[in-house]
Amino acid sequence: MMMQHGRDMALRAEARKPVAASATLARFWVYFRRYWYILLAVVVLLVVSTYMQVLTPNLTGQVVDCYLTPATEKLMGGSASSNLPGIPPITSTNCWYAHLSPQATAADYLAGLGGLILLIVGLFVASSVLTGLQFYLMTYSGQKVLRNLRVAVFDHIHRLSLGYFSKHEAGDVMTRITVDADTIQQAITFPLVSLMQGLLLIVWVAFTMLTTSPIYAVISLLVTPLMFFATSWFSDQARKAFRQVRSAVGDVNANLQESFSAVREAQAFNREEENIQNFNESNAASRDASIRATAFTSALSPTLEALGYVSMAIVAGVGGLFLLGGQNLLGETMSLGLIIAFLGYTQRFNQPISQISVMWTNIQSAIAGAERIFGLLDTEPDLVDSPGARPMPPIQGRVEFIHVDAEYEPGEAVLHDVNFVAEPGQMVAIVGPTGAGKTTIANLIPRFYDVKTGAVKIDGIDVREVTAASLRAQIGIVLQDPFLFSDTVMENIRYGKPHATDDEVIAAAKLARADTFIERLPEGYHTKLGERGGGLSQGQRQLISIARAALADPRILILDEATSSVDTRTERLIQKALEELLHGRTSIVIAHRLSTIRHADQVLVLRGGQIIERGKHDELLKARGFYYDLYMSQFRRDIDFAETDSAPPVTAAIGK
Amino acid sequence: MQSQFIAGRPMSGNTRHSGRATPGSARPGGAPNADLRVLLRAMRYVSHYRWIAFLAYGSLFFATAAQLMVPQLIQTIIDTVVQAFIATQILKMPALVQSAAAQRMGKTIADLQATQNGFTSAILFAMLAILGFAILRAIFSFSQTYNAERVSQNIAYDFRRDLFAKIQRLSFSYHDRNQTGQLMIRATDDVEKLRLFLGQGLVMALQALVLLVGTLIILWFTNHALTLIVLPILPIALIVFMVFGALTQPLFRQVQIRISALNTILQENLAGLKVVKAFAREPQEHARFERAADDLLEQQLRVARTFSFLMPVIFLIANLGQAAVMYFGGQQIIGGTLTLGEWQKFSLYLIYVFFPMGQLGFIINLMSQAAASAQRIFEILDTQNEVEDKPGAIELKEVQGYVRFDDVTFRYFKGGEPVLSHVSFEAKPGQTVALLGATGSGKTTIINLIPRFYDVTDGRVLIDGHDVRDVTIASLRAHIGIVLQETTLFSGTIRDNIAFGKPNASMDEVIAAAQAAAAHEFIMEFPQGYDTPVGERGSTLSGGQKQRIAIARALLLNPRILILDDSTSSVDLATEYRIQQALKELMKGRTSFVIAQRVSTVLNADQILVLDKGQIVARGTHEELLESSELYAEIYSSQLVGDFDEAPEMMQARAGVVL
Repeated sequence: MMMQHGRDMALRAEARKPVAASATLARFWVYFRRYWYILLAVVVLLVVSTYMQVLTPNLTGQVVDCYLTPATEKLMGGSASSNLPGIPPITSTNCWYAHLSPQATAADYLAGLGGLILLIVGLFVASSVLTGLQFYLMTYSGQKVLRNLRVAVFDHIHRLSLGYFSKHEAGDVMTRITVDADTIQQAITFPLVSLMQGLLLIVWVAFTMLTTSPIYAVISLLVTPLMFFATSWFSDQARKAFRQVRSAVGDVNANLQESFSAVREAQAFNREEENIQNFNESNAASRDASIRATAFTSALSPTLEALGYVSMAIVAGVGGLFLLGGQNLLGETMSLGLIIAFLGYTQRFNQPISQISVMWTNIQSAIAGAERIFGLLDTEPDLVDSPGARPMPPIQGRVEFIHVDAEYEPGEAVLHDVNFVAEPGQMVAIVGPTGAGKTTIANLIPRFYDVKTGAVKIDGIDVREVTAASLRAQIGIVLQDPFLFSDTVMENIRYGKPHATDDEVIAAAKLARADTFIERLPEGYHTKLGERGGGLSQGQRQLISIARAALADPRILILDEATSSVDTRTERLIQKALEELLHGRTSIVIAHRLSTIRHADQVLVLRGGQIIERGKHDELLKARGFYYDLYMSQFRRDIDFAETDSAPPVTAAIGK
Repeated sequence: MQSQFIAGRPMSGNTRHSGRATPGSARPGGAPNADLRVLLRAMRYVSHYRWIAFLAYGSLFFATAAQLMVPQLIQTIIDTVVQAFIATQILKMPALVQSAAAQRMGKTIADLQATQNGFTSAILFAMLAILGFAILRAIFSFSQTYNAERVSQNIAYDFRRDLFAKIQRLSFSYHDRNQTGQLMIRATDDVEKLRLFLGQGLVMALQALVLLVGTLIILWFTNHALTLIVLPILPIALIVFMVFGALTQPLFRQVQIRISALNTILQENLAGLKVVKAFAREPQEHARFERAADDLLEQQLRVARTFSFLMPVIFLIANLGQAAVMYFGGQQIIGGTLTLGEWQKFSLYLIYVFFPMGQLGFIINLMSQAAASAQRIFEILDTQNEVEDKPGAIELKEVQGYVRFDDVTFRYFKGGEPVLSHVSFEAKPGQTVALLGATGSGKTTIINLIPRFYDVTDGRVLIDGHDVRDVTIASLRAHIGIVLQETTLFSGTIRDNIAFGKPNASMDEVIAAAQAAAAHEFIMEFPQGYDTPVGERGSTLSGGQKQRIAIARALLLNPRILILDDSTSSVDLATEYRIQQALKELMKGRTSFVIAQRVSTVLNADQILVLDKGQIVARGTHEELLESSELYAEIYSSQLVGDFDEAPEMMQARAGVVL
């Protein structure tokens, strides 16, 4: 059961074939090298314990040849047959202890037997201790390596620029680290030890058999190639079959997730029966795929077992026939003890093959997983601090774009010849249609990307000349879709300033107008948020992210105004909070609201990566250019809003 | 099967109550009797596949028998070899000694000659027999495992089918109390555990027992004394295995917890990379991740220590059994009461004693888990659905659209605070009723009672004079269209999503609905038009587009009664205007209940209900209420959004004024 279960699990795991296994293994070695002394100990233990395992059948053979057979013969013949001329002894003389004399009594045999058995018991105990130790040491180094690998990948993610993640799905990267690390994890401890031990045992047993009696050994191992063939064929088939199982199970889960979370809609539209029908289709597909895949896994184990029986039959039968046919097999001397010993060898030879076959897919997947992880680690960070980078001095707040060209993909310009200056304390609003390059401008200031040509300067210093960390520490950013961590509200705000006191955090929340709703949460500031701020509304999340920026107290603030709907009251809160936050700081705002634009010292109108108009809101409207059209189609819905802000709304409505 | 669900997903818009009681999550009492009873009940699912199960169990007996035959045959070979060898030796002796030796063995010279001549065929026969049994073993063992898997997968299918159907039909109040993630775990992990136990565990348990008993019988008939030496190993092995399971399971659970903690940090750093970078928090995040990685490492090493100790112990026990058989068996050989072949057989069979113990230990662990899972699954299946067709419920055929609330009181819980108390109103066919009130005032509850998502605690909800509880739920809901603020789209094509409530609608109907909802135009802009696949939760569409699809969805049903939330996501002006027009179109001639967010709605409503703490505190038209209700004036000014009801030209003119 355990074996069978393990096999299923192994095959079910992400099963892929590695591309360049040896190169990947060499990479792994770099991580393992630090623990070379542990590995050395493991190898020594491995050799010793394998030697013990090989020794056991030999000792069993001696039990037969040196004590049991003579005793049996004595019982039958009255004397050992060897005292008759011309008749060779049935036993070999490979005894560790002195051969007992023909006069030996039953008690002598028993004493000798007892001695040998004690030795075997000693071997068993010692080998258990060694196996345990070896397993622990291997796991110890393996887990350490895995931990270091995980941390290395994590750090590498931080080194990569945002550009990398705009080209690679974050989900894909996530899979690499979680799933691939998990497959390595599954292979790195128990299977690895078993594999090493198994291989050593196979080689050693084969070697012992071959040196003891080459021809008998070859005959005994006749079945072995079939076992390898069966393992590789069934594993391949199973791997293919389980790929389908995975996708079918994925469908079932997706269907469950969707149907359960939207069960209210289903009932509202009388869709229950239809959904049940649909679900049962994917449910059945998953069942059938699983059953098909199991056909292969169910067949591998019995096949190997049957082949094992056949090899035992060959050892016993062929050995026996040759023993009787003149105690010799093509020139090699046979003995009953040899047959018993070879039966033991064969068992010890077949067992690791079975074990390895169980883990084979596991190991292959792990190597493939490592390949992908190393692939990620090999990605060169495209944005690093320049060698002589100095820390950014305290920022005054002058932001300057000088002939800036930017592109994400070579040849696809996103910004072209952008020039502007924001004086300390000024507010610059950026407007333009989707894809005009608004976000890119915002991204260049904290150096999330590098310009292609031109320069972004803060207080006259090119952002590429200072360390990114010191630069970003002085720039605040409020994103359109605020990101919260699954931590307390307090910690989420404190994110803006790691060493802020609770009082500072609360003050920042007050400034951001977030204190009212936070205090109403079940545990106030210590309420733990769900993943990605789950449990809070969009507007509330936004207020927290404003508080976070307020706490950081940056000289420069970058703001991406939210477009998603929040209720009117929250919307107004957010507006107020932002007004307060922007006060006295240089701010670059990707503007969606009329009020923002009206208050801006400078409005930059972007189109196709270029600034086509600039000036104050009123001036731009008067010019009746692109901004005017844009305004007409995009910002008008705010007008009423602005009205209700200033005039008593009831009367305004009545006045219609 | 990895299953990671986001717990605590914000519930969709029409949920009020958020009691987090999850009755299924607790481990049941754990009384062995209760465990057994629930497992017996679960076993009824096996009986649907009794023929496949019969194949699995039948194969088991043959497979085990074949397995038991092999050591027997190897003993035969060895004994034959020994006998033949000795016979040969004796026959080579001088005649005088020969007969004496033969006599000592209790055999005649003729016997010995027969042995000597017949050994080749005897050995070959035994070898062929082993081959035969090996093949039989392989076939039946395959059949056992394969059919057991078939049974188990079919059971899993049945459980999932039943769970899904039940959950689909359970009323809103059930879903208010239970989170999606929890339900997912019932339908995946719990079903999987039960499947493993019922489909495979039971077969394995029986196989282990058969193998154990069969082996012990063979050993007993081979040699009593030696068998008695083997017996004490059994309970020891079983205990060790159970201890093993009991110790490692919580350790592994802890590993899983720490892995997911680690993954959460990773996930956040990927999704929130910009925030991490913006606040230059890499060093702190690095420390956080390293801490989690160390925690995981520590737990993994704890597991390793337990394994490094227990695993060798288990093997040692097995090996000590071997050594005992070797010694005491050897003693008997020397004493002449056991043959070498029997001795060898004993050591081969010993594995068959030991392995079943391991299997049984494993299955006992599996059993308690399976019982807990079964308990949780049946808890769902046994849940009494609070909203069900009553016996003899009539079909609601044609509907005029006359809706009446007759002194309705509603509580989510028995004995809880009333969410609505003594609410009475009526809406005549074609009227628009605007619902107004603060969050938690009961607006959503009113609209949830009309399609009978909940049942009233007191009073009646009447449609065309029928109590909604007297008609079938399906026929009732067929006449009601719903458009909510948060539009849920489903993976599938746009067409599927519009035809959500009427899957067999013709393409023409779908297009007509889309046109009326001002959605046709943007749909046609997609390369695949109506066949454009909609991503998870509609990720490929903008908020305004989703909303229009939701309107089209409701329009397609052509309902007499309409429930909607008139807020629109912020979309550009032109779109907003179109959505407003589409809504207007939708409401034309239907009885409509609108959770009002905008000025135009209340202006146009035939009746406005102002709710406060579950009661209607004011009602009337806009003009009437402005005069009479302070609360209305306040809500009007603080909660409603102005909008453009006029034609675009008008708006331009007005914009000029503002400037």
